[in-house]
Amino acid sequence: MTIANQAAPAVAVVGGGPAGLAAARTAADLGSPVVLIERLGFLGGMPIIENYAAITPHLEPAEVAMGRMITAVESHPLVEVVLDTEVTSCEGEAGAFTLTLEGGAGGSRKISAGAVVVATGFQHFDPGRETQMYGYYEFPDVIALQDLEAMLKDHHVVRPSNGESPARVCFVQCVGSRDRQIGNEYCSKVCCGIASKEAMEVRQMLPDCEVFIFYIDMRMYGYWENQIYWPAQEQYHVQYVKGVISEVLPKGDRLLVRGEDTTMGRPMEVLMDLVVLSVGMEPSPGTRKMASVLGIEQNKYGFVEAVQPPLDTVSTSRVGVFAAGAALGPADLEDSVSTGAAAASRAVALLRSPVGA
Amino acid sequence: MPVGGRKQAPVVIEEEMAVVASTISGRTSELPAMWNRMLEPRVLRDYGSGGFARLAALQGGESLEWCYGCGKCVPVCPVDLVGEYGPRKLHRKVQSGVDLLADDDLWLCTTCMNCLRVCPKQVDMIKVMPAARGAAVGAGEVPTELQDVFEKTFRYGNCLGENPRRRHAWTRGAGVPVRVLADQPGPVDVLFYVEDYWSYHPRGQQAAQAFARVLTALGVDFAILGAEEKTVGDSQRLAGEAGLFEALMEDVAATLGRYDFRRIVTPDPHGFNALVKEYPKHGHRYDVLHYTQLLAPLVEQMPFAASLERTVTFHDPCYLGRHNGEYDAPRTLLEAIPGIRLVEMGRCRENGYCCGGGGGGMWLDGFTSNHTAERLSERRVREAAETGADILAVCCPYEVSRFEDAAKSTGNDHLQVRDIVELLDEAMRGHGEG
Repeated sequence: MTIANQAAPAVAVVGGGPAGLAAARTAADLGSPVVLIERLGFLGGMPIIENYAAITPHLEPAEVAMGRMITAVESHPLVEVVLDTEVTSCEGEAGAFTLTLEGGAGGSRKISAGAVVVATGFQHFDPGRETQMYGYYEFPDVIALQDLEAMLKDHHVVRPSNGESPARVCFVQCVGSRDRQIGNEYCSKVCCGIASKEAMEVRQMLPDCEVFIFYIDMRMYGYWENQIYWPAQEQYHVQYVKGVISEVLPKGDRLLVRGEDTTMGRPMEVLMDLVVLSVGMEPSPGTRKMASVLGIEQNKYGFVEAVQPPLDTVSTSRVGVFAAGAALGPADLEDSVSTGAAAASRAVALLRSPVGA
Repeated sequence: MPVGGRKQAPVVIEEEMAVVASTISGRTSELPAMWNRMLEPRVLRDYGSGGFARLAALQGGESLEWCYGCGKCVPVCPVDLVGEYGPRKLHRKVQSGVDLLADDDLWLCTTCMNCLRVCPKQVDMIKVMPAARGAAVGAGEVPTELQDVFEKTFRYGNCLGENPRRRHAWTRGAGVPVRVLADQPGPVDVLFYVEDYWSYHPRGQQAAQAFARVLTALGVDFAILGAEEKTVGDSQRLAGEAGLFEALMEDVAATLGRYDFRRIVTPDPHGFNALVKEYPKHGHRYDVLHYTQLLAPLVEQMPFAASLERTVTFHDPCYLGRHNGEYDAPRTLLEAIPGIRLVEMGRCRENGYCCGGGGGGMWLDGFTSNHTAERLSERRVREAAETGADILAVCCPYEVSRFEDAAKSTGNDHLQVRDIVELLDEAMRGHGEG
């Protein structure tokens, strides 16, 4: 449907991932017309783009879980989904924005919206920028979390170099996070949980494969501690070794990971068949671009700055523009859908309140 | 250093163990690598779940793998304070390939339970240790001195290898009649289960005699099994001899089944622990009290005739305190004795420091001394002396001999080690011995 002829002002949601879908659904459920604008030709965001196998923590297949959200939004009478389209400008002010949309079947067009929710998400850190010597682009058997996700989704976990099942797999934590040299001083928050989840999945799929996690400190906040970390260790026998890896060297047709075992105070050099880099989160190009188009403040890392933290998580520096999900910084799915719903309800409240939200 | 233009690579010595010979005495001693990191092979080359899987295959052995390395156990581990040991360290060793069943660390734990008290992951060394030790015993990998005790226990029914017929020889010096059930059958209120050290050790016998006098003075109807009594063998169980423990249990239960008593009272927290926790698992249920629990409610009736005027500190037995939650009964007794001033050590009650005797430690002093700077009992006696007390009061039969030795070896001869019942007896009789 088209919302152009609706009486009430619409909420424009930019980005069709988990946060954007939650925002669209929430605003529509509150009775507001919604235009959901997605750059790609499909909804679902990173879980679909990057072929996530199962989502943390309950291991539901990503396509199933995201499919439910997508269906709810697509079938909602108050939501218009606009695919293959980007927002290129935003004029006006809260209650009466005019957005220019480019792409899709209609070419360039303008829509009006009372409020905007930015849910343009993150991208995985590119391990090629790592200052350590991990050899992501050098060794085929050094991969990243999302590469393993895709293999898990195919139920086919192999060493890319030779197509054989790995007997020894390790995860290297904090790749591209907590690093002043790289410029990402923050913790990416989800990688400890995702690595542990993938470790369990590898053990399920390859019961004879030994799985190791080399870490600085495991950050399994809230229920992830007992939902992921403890089962990974106690039921799946994943071996957690405190001490992160400094370099990966080729050794025959295998990989030698080198680091310090910090609780033993000794160097370690351990052979692996497959090394998985637990890459962190960075703002997506879309988040950087939309921050610029919408004229909202970004923090030094490029994420959208929430201007009244910590008790207002979704307001940006421009009245009427709200942000949600990993556009605001590292976030798990629970954070993303929560801020999506929060941003949508704040947007609808703004449009309905005589004094503004 | 480059010599004549040729580079010479530095020579690195990597030894697991070095033997050092004294130029004075000629004695040699082994320096395990942990004492000198330069002697270690530096690089760790592997980790794996195999060691944990082997432990998990033993009943009770699965929880070592649960350690997430917080390290809370290590500062409260009594062994780590005098050596290099702790559950967290054990986890890392097994993860990096050490075979626990063949490692000396297997025998250092005294099962004092202080680690389990603080462990967020409930890594249960009280179950891991007997499980792993049991497998080592099965493989014949047991320290000689411990094996000797197992054999004595098997042959004689007591850990000291003493003549079973002399088990109640101590009664002759009690000064009061002590009924032996085999000789004088019939119903009795309290079956006094004397256990090994009160039966045979000279200082234990003095305590047994004092207890008999105190019971008599209080009009308690009691009797002993005499030559029919065998050790409950709980420390043998924790040291890895579950089979021996169970065989003893069937003997003990059969003997107990022949007599009509209302409750069992024992001075030994180790036997007490097994009677309370292990026997019921096999269907043997009795009303069991530690002797301090029998006496504590009776303090109002105690006919004290003297004021002792002594400063006393008290050592909580691990198997009465942490294992079974009884901290108050011994203190009630001490505080009831006229003239006694009780001062507590820093580590007392829930975090009381282990004497080193539990879990087989009683019989591993020689073995353990190769891995520790001093005995746990010596460490504890220093703490006791620091309180300014002139008596270290105990209520576990293992402790009098351990602490008396430690008081001498640490130069604290002024510190007397007395069982609580000896102090009660002294105050009730109105004249002291010490």
